[in-house]
Amino acid sequence: MAAHTRPKWGTRVGDWLDERFDVRIPLEAFLKKPVPKHAIRWYFCLGGITFAVFLIQGVTGILLSLYYRPTPEQAYESILFIMNNVRFGWLIRSIHHWSASLMIATCIAHMLRVFITGAYKKPRELNWVAGVFLLLLTLAFGFTGYLLPWDQRALWGSTVGSEILGVIPLIGKALLGLLRAGADVTGLTLTRFYGLHMLVLPVLAFLFLAVHFVIIRRQGISGPL
Amino acid sequence: MDESTRRTEEEALDRPISRRRLFKYILLGVSAAVTAGGVLTPIIAYLWPPKQAAAAGGGRVAVGAAADLPVGKGQVYSVNNKPVIVIHTADGYHALSAVCTHLGCIVTWAEQRAVIACPCHAAFFTTNGDVISGPAPAPLQVYRVQVEGDQIYVEGG
Repeated sequence: MAAHTRPKWGTRVGDWLDERFDVRIPLEAFLKKPVPKHAIRWYFCLGGITFAVFLIQGVTGILLSLYYRPTPEQAYESILFIMNNVRFGWLIRSIHHWSASLMIATCIAHMLRVFITGAYKKPRELNWVAGVFLLLLTLAFGFTGYLLPWDQRALWGSTVGSEILGVIPLIGKALLGLLRAGADVTGLTLTRFYGLHMLVLPVLAFLFLAVHFVIIRRQGISGPL
Repeated sequence: MDESTRRTEEEALDRPISRRRLFKYILLGVSAAVTAGGVLTPIIAYLWPPKQAAAAGGGRVAVGAAADLPVGKGQVYSVNNKPVIVIHTADGYHALSAVCTHLGCIVTWAEQRAVIACPCHAAFFTTNGDVISGPAPAPLQVYRVQVEGDQIYVEGG
């Protein structure tokens, strides 16, 4: 073996990039931050698991959008097509379906951990607030996604669910009309929920996730009990 | 034994790589490959054009009811996943490829002028597929067409 071996391929790529962007030191500080000993527990992983499920929902959701058609005439047909004709369509849709419920469960489990360990206390109050918004966004994802198959369960589920909005004093009826795009759940509601589910909620979720993550890296994880 | 000591030892032994290290690389490599394959295979298969209700492949295909295509009318059908225009004129049925030989637009039957017309660049064809005018460099391919009972059948594709 020669005494002067060339540095590893990965190191050379890193050197090349660092020479140009001067990024190694800040990146290492960001990536090599040690996890405190008291936090190396499975229940400290629940937030990360929720984020992983969110990414799975993103990938499977994009895949579903390639075959799904958000019109009253074709929505249910396109779901049947995905389940019966598209290769692994049953798998992609089932992962999206089950992960939706899983994400709410892991989200709440993560909140329970934060609550029980008191991690929401000063100075982390605002990250708790951001987290509550993320829970609400997760529920909104679930609620808008529930209508999209456009079967009987979806239609009546969305009818009953949105009805709750109508009992708010004074503005309830107006909000209900705004959500449903009319008096009833119709094709207009379907496209509205589709737009929310596909565009509005993902943008908001990424925003709040960015805030959530920046704050946790800035403040660090809370101390041991 | 830490990483650097081991590396020095390997170099001293003039072995490029230890058995333990090789085994570790193989194990990690196979795990990564299996995981990537398990995730990517369904995704690529999902993106692959799905099977449609109409059967693919050659042979004779019933395209529609003869009653729906009276004299003077023309209609584009899908024959083995290829568009075929069927025209019913006074001298019988004609079936031709509906893909214009110019740039591949789907031709239509111009009923008033009794010619096949391409909507993209105004190429015109006779019912035999010959070019009348326009940029099309070649005639349309002719298919065999039969009417049995109430059904129109197109052969080939």
